[in-house]
Amino acid sequence: MRSKLIYLIFAISVLLAGFIIAICLADTVPNAGGVAHAVFAGMQAGGDGAARLEHIGFYAYACQVLLLALVVCLCALGISDRYLTREFLWYMAGSFVLSLIVWEQMYSGHQTFLETGTTGYFLGFPVATAWQVYGSWVGAIPLIIIYSFGFRKFIYTKEDEEKFNQLLAEQNKNKEQ
Amino acid sequence: MEAYRQEIILGAVLVYMIFCVITGLWAMKRTKNSSDFFIASRGLGPIVVALALFSSTLSGFGFVGGPGLVYSIGVSSFWMVVISSTGYAVGFFLVAKRIRMIAEVRKCISLPDVVAARYSSEAVRFMMAITIVLGVMGYLATQILAMALVMQAILSGTAMFADIGLITCVVISSAVLIFYCVTGGIIASVYTDVVQGAIMIVAGLLILITAMSVFEGGMAEASAIILADDSEAIMPFGAAGIMASFGWFFVFGLGLAGQPHLITKMMMNKNISDNRSILPMSLFGYIIAALLWISIGVIMRAAVVSGTIDPLALPDDAASVFLSVFTNPLLAGVVFAGLFAAIMSTSDAFLNIGTAAIIHDIPKAIRGKSIENELMWARIVTVLLAILAASFALYSHFQDATLVAILGAFGWATFSASIFPVVAIGLNWKGATVTGAVTAIGSALIINFVVQLAGITLPYGISGGLVSFVTSLVLFIGVSLITKPPVLDDDLNTIMDI
Repeated sequence: MRSKLIYLIFAISVLLAGFIIAICLADTVPNAGGVAHAVFAGMQAGGDGAARLEHIGFYAYACQVLLLALVVCLCALGISDRYLTREFLWYMAGSFVLSLIVWEQMYSGHQTFLETGTTGYFLGFPVATAWQVYGSWVGAIPLIIIYSFGFRKFIYTKEDEEKFNQLLAEQNKNKEQ
Repeated sequence: MEAYRQEIILGAVLVYMIFCVITGLWAMKRTKNSSDFFIASRGLGPIVVALALFSSTLSGFGFVGGPGLVYSIGVSSFWMVVISSTGYAVGFFLVAKRIRMIAEVRKCISLPDVVAARYSSEAVRFMMAITIVLGVMGYLATQILAMALVMQAILSGTAMFADIGLITCVVISSAVLIFYCVTGGIIASVYTDVVQGAIMIVAGLLILITAMSVFEGGMAEASAIILADDSEAIMPFGAAGIMASFGWFFVFGLGLAGQPHLITKMMMNKNISDNRSILPMSLFGYIIAALLWISIGVIMRAAVVSGTIDPLALPDDAASVFLSVFTNPLLAGVVFAGLFAAIMSTSDAFLNIGTAAIIHDIPKAIRGKSIENELMWARIVTVLLAILAASFALYSHFQDATLVAILGAFGWATFSASIFPVVAIGLNWKGATVTGAVTAIGSALIINFVVQLAGITLPYGISGGLVSFVTSLVLFIGVSLITKPPVLDDDLNTIMDI
């Protein structure tokens, strides 16, 4: 399974490279990477958010989705073949879906603001930004939980520990001989 | 108390520095060989490793440059922080277990040791060591310069040291750093990291509380002020835009598992099973400490926009102005000590891996064996490396201000692009080949150097770091797939199956 996973990781990486090239070749918008603030030196302003996304919105959105997929694929790559069970893959899928929801809420919240010019606030930030600040942190928490609580089930089981200790013992024995 | 602000801050920093010196002396007794010096003989407990890991992640850049970036480009820079949970998770899933196992089985004391074992190649070891030395020079110079500038700012506020020069400050701060790194090696480094980490957590929490009280409406009022001035600055992609934000997510998120000063610490824990508690503890510490980055930046931008305070001369002044205007002297003292802690904890980690690359890996790659009396040479090279970095920092500051910035920016991006594929993927995929590894490291070095030196600007805020990372990832896997799969030694085969 892990040997197949590498092809998926490769495909995602190639797609990402393709999208980045597409963005580089897309029509440019003046000051898309920010412009000096009109009043305060040292500050940058973002300006017209809708214009900045006009030609690259789809590619940028897709890049983020691919990156989130890459994250779960990489985490799965770190797991031994025999623990890549249906249960583990479901957990990974759940983690991916959660991070996707966070990303969708963040992006669509920003789009809604660009269309309406109004926003609510959540814990100190505009709603879309709150999804970024709190959601991005929380979105990866399932991965932390899977790692910590599933450590003896997926990452390093008692059987693995014995196998590793056996390897060390064999090595020490060979040295002594 | 306000009348003694500078003295209180100076006192807090002094107490902290004395602690570092004492720790160095204590650790010297426990440092008997190069394995103790570089990886603490893999004998550290989970709390020590967790705190050392996160405090090394959050450097002086996090305490000074971070708030400055939020002031300058708004929420764009949040992406460097909020990806930490993803970055730590990827790092632990991919690296923590196997790097620790290879380190023990093959008696590795450095990251190039691990890749040389994994790929059975001295060429990969050499390229990795060179990458580390280049990156370390930039990083270390940046940290030493930051440390000296902060010290000058503190001392010049007192009557006694009003005219103190930058060179004197470089000498004083570097001397403390060199002392505890030379005497106690990584043991002194990680134990000071524990206290440094604790100070950073306290500083992060206290600053958040202070920041919330600057405006009557708290953080929401500050956000609303920024929104009214330039809405994009407080929206999720900030002033720098969606692709700059994406680039930071990629390079700082995935790239965390490619930072040598961090993943080397994953070789130091006593038990592999401690990893399950190290991950959440490190992440918790990082998130709390990073609150300082976000809260100071937002409040300072809002305070300037609303006219509460005068515009800053430089964005990097955000933290120091916030401390002098909005905090009481005791808190300012804790935070300044935290700032020194952040800078020193990163510097000592870089000194350690840079020294290992110079005295252990480069000779081993060239001569096939490491030099004799490694511990003595480790101490000598630590001093020389710190002096060289300090001189480089001063030269850059007075002669060519772009040099340190170029190498500093080069550091993280190059580490991410060159080390992540080779180590994080290579430790988990048996098909990774020497040719793939050499191509990935080479492409990362070339792209990052060309982009930095030629000052190439890509559209939509796409960073050179992102381009080099994706290129290196594609080349590493692609080249490995089309070259002959390696035959792994039995012990490595077993480790990669576990």
